[in-house]
Amino acid sequence: MGLIFIRTVIVFVALLIVMRLMGKRQIGEMQPYELVITLLISELACIPMGDPSIPLLYGLVAIFTVYLLHQIICVLDLNFNKAKAVISGVPSVLLNKNGIDDYELKKNNLDVSDLIESLRVEGYFALDAVEYALYESEGAFSALPKKNFQDLQKSLPVVIIDEGKFDDKNIAMTEKSREYYLNVLKQNGCKDLKKVLVLTVDGNGKAYLQQKGKKYKVLNLDWGKTLW
Amino acid sequence: MVKTLISIVIASAILFGVSMYSIVYVNDTFAFFERALLSLYDKTEAQTATYEDGTAVQRFWEEKKKSLHVWVPHTAIQEVDYQLYEAVGFLYVQDYKAALPKIEVVLGMCENIPHSYTLGVENIF
Repeated sequence: MGLIFIRTVIVFVALLIVMRLMGKRQIGEMQPYELVITLLISELACIPMGDPSIPLLYGLVAIFTVYLLHQIICVLDLNFNKAKAVISGVPSVLLNKNGIDDYELKKNNLDVSDLIESLRVEGYFALDAVEYALYESEGAFSALPKKNFQDLQKSLPVVIIDEGKFDDKNIAMTEKSREYYLNVLKQNGCKDLKKVLVLTVDGNGKAYLQQKGKKYKVLNLDWGKTLW
Repeated sequence: MVKTLISIVIASAILFGVSMYSIVYVNDTFAFFERALLSLYDKTEAQTATYEDGTAVQRFWEEKKKSLHVWVPHTAIQEVDYQLYEAVGFLYVQDYKAALPKIEVVLGMCENIPHSYTLGVENIF
């Protein structure tokens, strides 16, 4: 029985480490240790149940061990901030007053389109409509909008450049060419396409430009008409 | 918080108690069985063992294995059953040469089975 206890502890800790290393994307609405428990508990219950050659007690000891670990983690989580950070992780600020934090984005195995998609799910369609966007430790997104965020997202923005790459389908929507946008970049002090983190435009010609490691700019491309 | 701490203490105590009891119980049971087998082995070696001696050991094992099923995988117990039944069968026909290796196998199992379930690095991994 002692063996089952130690083995369960080892598997639990190993799974927890792997889940933490894989990042928040693998979790989704659960703390890493909660997901580990979910993964383990069904197997622990099923194996002795389905295989009569294994004493039922083996499953019960393993389940009790998982329960014990859960209780210990709960105590650590509630009382020790450092332990909480190690076990459950900490929220990441992906978007702040300077725009998208490229470093935090990469650290969480995300790209710009993932961030835009997650913000859309939260009801924010324009990157400049959000003051802060956080990726919580359990894998959920939360965002703090600007006071006038409704005024900033009157038309749906589309991605023109995503981490140095043009999106030709969206360029066609704007009835412009790659050269037009390269010119926009030049006018705003960006000579290298690869240094562009994101460029979005909405139907009114309002653009959101951010170069890697720099603060974002909101541009008015002055199209003279509303495209969508 | 207090409830959580109490639950940790209780769960730890239960797990520790069950672990220790299982180790002691399995070791003791196999130690008793080993002594009975050694006596049978000596008699078989001296060619004085009877079928009744064999069935006495078999009865002892049958009694003990009921509770061993709680602690040891049933396949390990079945292995002992096979070898012991064969040994008793050879004793019935007074084939001592064939019975001796079978008893020896069971003696080996008496050492190996408890060892497989004790706390040791080789068993954990």
